Amino acid sequence: MIPSLHSARRPSVLHIFKVYYPDLFGGTLSVIRDICAGLKDMFSAGVLVCSKSGGKSRIVVNDVAVERVRSFGDVLSLPAAPAYPLRLWRRIAEHDLLALHAPFPLADLVFALGFGRSRPLVVHWHADIVSHAALRPFIEPLMRRTLRRAEAIIVSDPVLIQNTPLLREFADKCHAVPFGIDVAKYDPPAPRLDRVNARGRLVLACGRLVPYKGFDVLVRAAFGQSFEVWIVGEGRERERLEQLIENLGLQDRVRLLGSVPESDRIKLMGIADVFVMPSVTNAETFGLVQLEAMAAGRPVVNTSLDTGVPQVARHGIEAITVPPGDPDKLAEAINTLIADPERRRRMGEAARQRAATKYSAAAFCKGIEKIYREAAAAPAPAVRASRAAAIGWPATIQIAAALAWSDMRHRYVRSLLGPFWMSIQMAIMVAVLGSVIGHLSNANAVARLPMLALSLTAWTFLNSVVLDATTALQNSASLIKDRALPPVVFLLQCVFRQALFALHNASVPLILWLVLVPKEFGGAIAALPGFALFVVCTLGLGLVLGALATRYRDLKPIIESGLMLAFLSSPIIWSTEMLNHASTVMQLNPLTHLFAIWREPLATGHVAMSSVSYVLAVVSVLAVASVITIARLRKAAFWI
Amino acid sequence: MASIILRDVCLDYPLYGAYDFSLKRRLLGRLAGASTPTPTIRAIDNISIEASAGARIGLAGPNGSGKSTLLRLIAGVYPASSGHVGITGNIVPLLGLNAGVNMDFVAAENISLLLRISGRKPTPAMIDEIWAFTELEERMQRLPLRMFSSGMLMRVLFATATAFPADILLLDEWLSVVDENFSAKAEQRLLKLVSQAAIVIIASHDHDLLRRTCTSIVHLDRGRIVNTVYPEIHSAYPFELREKRA
Repeated sequence: MIPSLHSARRPSVLHIFKVYYPDLFGGTLSVIRDICAGLKDMFSAGVLVCSKSGGKSRIVVNDVAVERVRSFGDVLSLPAAPAYPLRLWRRIAEHDLLALHAPFPLADLVFALGFGRSRPLVVHWHADIVSHAALRPFIEPLMRRTLRRAEAIIVSDPVLIQNTPLLREFADKCHAVPFGIDVAKYDPPAPRLDRVNARGRLVLACGRLVPYKGFDVLVRAAFGQSFEVWIVGEGRERERLEQLIENLGLQDRVRLLGSVPESDRIKLMGIADVFVMPSVTNAETFGLVQLEAMAAGRPVVNTSLDTGVPQVARHGIEAITVPPGDPDKLAEAINTLIADPERRRRMGEAARQRAATKYSAAAFCKGIEKIYREAAAAPAPAVRASRAAAIGWPATIQIAAALAWSDMRHRYVRSLLGPFWMSIQMAIMVAVLGSVIGHLSNANAVARLPMLALSLTAWTFLNSVVLDATTALQNSASLIKDRALPPVVFLLQCVFRQALFALHNASVPLILWLVLVPKEFGGAIAALPGFALFVVCTLGLGLVLGALATRYRDLKPIIESGLMLAFLSSPIIWSTEMLNHASTVMQLNPLTHLFAIWREPLATGHVAMSSVSYVLAVVSVLAVASVITIARLRKAAFWI
Repeated sequence: MASIILRDVCLDYPLYGAYDFSLKRRLLGRLAGASTPTPTIRAIDNISIEASAGARIGLAGPNGSGKSTLLRLIAGVYPASSGHVGITGNIVPLLGLNAGVNMDFVAAENISLLLRISGRKPTPAMIDEIWAFTELEERMQRLPLRMFSSGMLMRVLFATATAFPADILLLDEWLSVVDENFSAKAEQRLLKLVSQAAIVIIASHDHDLLRRTCTSIVHLDRGRIVNTVYPEIHSAYPFELREKRA
């Protein structure tokens, strides 16, 4: 062996899943555990999961560091752990390889938004989303993005690639690595050589008590028969199953054993006569427990799902396969086996043989190791996120600022006043509107002029940013296509450019304020946070609407008239007392609150909480939309 | 170290017709249940190219064979629909010289803006050096570009675009400056730029040029690689360069 020269440190793998020991036991978890243990000489492992129990957040399970993020219960089979995506994002940089155990939409959210691109990703596809089919249209795009970004996708059986439409799209990077099992653990205790019980009638099933496992079908199958059924496992279906057993009067023959330690489960596998896996949906992709039963030399009854289940234990050789959800056929199959000890012995031997040869733990670990190694060796940025990511945000902003600065200089070319022409326009508008409003209301019109001028300046800024942004990308097509500048540069350019113009315009309210109002600075400082929010909103609006209007050209006139309507139905030129406070449209209009959060502190020193919360809601919606927009802008070159 | 790795890269170029830009159409189509997916054309079909430092790759092929699209994909303008795109090193795409020029500004300002766009902080020394290369009169630096003849404009743009070395240089057609006196000098400068870059990819119809400058020539047709040719005497250009320098 040649010692490797460069990698004294083992690369580290972060396993990403929703739950881990000791909060739950199950097939997926034992797969993660086996990978961690089997590859521990080559890869160091970490696990990031959610936990309802609220114990310590960092624990060690079987020598593996497990970090648990607090979850507040399950919503639609998903842990409600709002902190998980953020924590995942922060952990990504600490590892060399990411192993996502899908389905786990909470993690898809992180990858779909383009975070964590700096590390290679391997997806272990454990199952498709079956239970909440209505949510599929929302989750599938996320999953697709994750899969697109992944270096490799690992499934337990090749049949899953053919039968899962989403995986078929990425068939070229799917690898089938069957789960493995250490058969030696299931060796029978020495004295008991004859492992088939001639008068056997003990039927064993294992699994979490959840609907897709189909244990209710097994209970029904036991009705009117003579065999005994022991079901190992715990879960939310327990009460329903107990009720069913009671209703059918099967308490003496059907027992729910609850959770059982692994060593005891191995013993149970050893004394059972028939192992049944009655799963009813394709959420069961492989059935690790049936492999355990096979290792223990038990004949299997399984169901004909479109997954690996009937491929692992094959009908007529290691198993009898029955249609899912059919208690009569299930009972018939169990009875066939119970009545025929010779067949049970033959099937059991075939099963053990298959488990030992086809599904060895060593082959599983070797297969995973190979894929991990290849993925970890893949060039770091698998797919370039965008030029913005390649250039970096500071440079992007600098370029946008330079372009905006040159735009403003352009206004001064061949013109002495430059953008101040617009300020003069603004001054005239303020004068005219001010005199008209002075006639409409009895309040002192002159005293209101500075506020009117400031409001108009701010409105002009917002309005021009949005309108400018709707055409910005088309106008900069050559810079985007020929110089490969990131499209977001030009949307930022609009904001910066209009900000520079707004600073020119701001001379009007500034002069009016200096002339007309007694100097007082407290209000101005109190208005700053609100004003910052206003600018942030403008930036977000510019980004989102600018990109949308480039993609959908018919939006521009809609945006124009929408802005005009919003302007007219907001108290920008009208003052609130002129309008009697009560207009619902005005209260719903975001512009009203967007202006209120800085105008009210300026005028009165305090601001209504409702306005603040309204604006914060708008900001957070815009923030999400902006993140999505920036991701979408990768395709902007196609639109122009 | 600069490197380009394209592995099984495909690019489906969406062909947006007039109606595909309409949100109303799209929403109505979806409501009616008759939403048709945007037709796409496979502009790049399963292309794998690996290049490390020293590679000079020529892209040849008829119009519409995907040369420019491939360059833009490498530059990061278009995202790949599938496959791997792994690129290290800073890319300078010289796909069009006119981008970002403002004819109303004086030449010096245009130069500094173009430098800023390519991420450099312009200094007066840089601008003077670029100007010296154009061989134009000093006072013309202070004239707006719209007063320049097209030949003079090309000189300024060429001098600016080629002022700094790149790790990865992408050229769509050899940048030719038609002015007779200038073209030899321009050619020499471009050759120098090519020789300094770690990786160069040139798309061109000029086979002789590609044979002279490239270590490998990739022939494209309808987005696919037809074949890859390795010209034998790819070391021709340093000699040529030396001759011209002498």
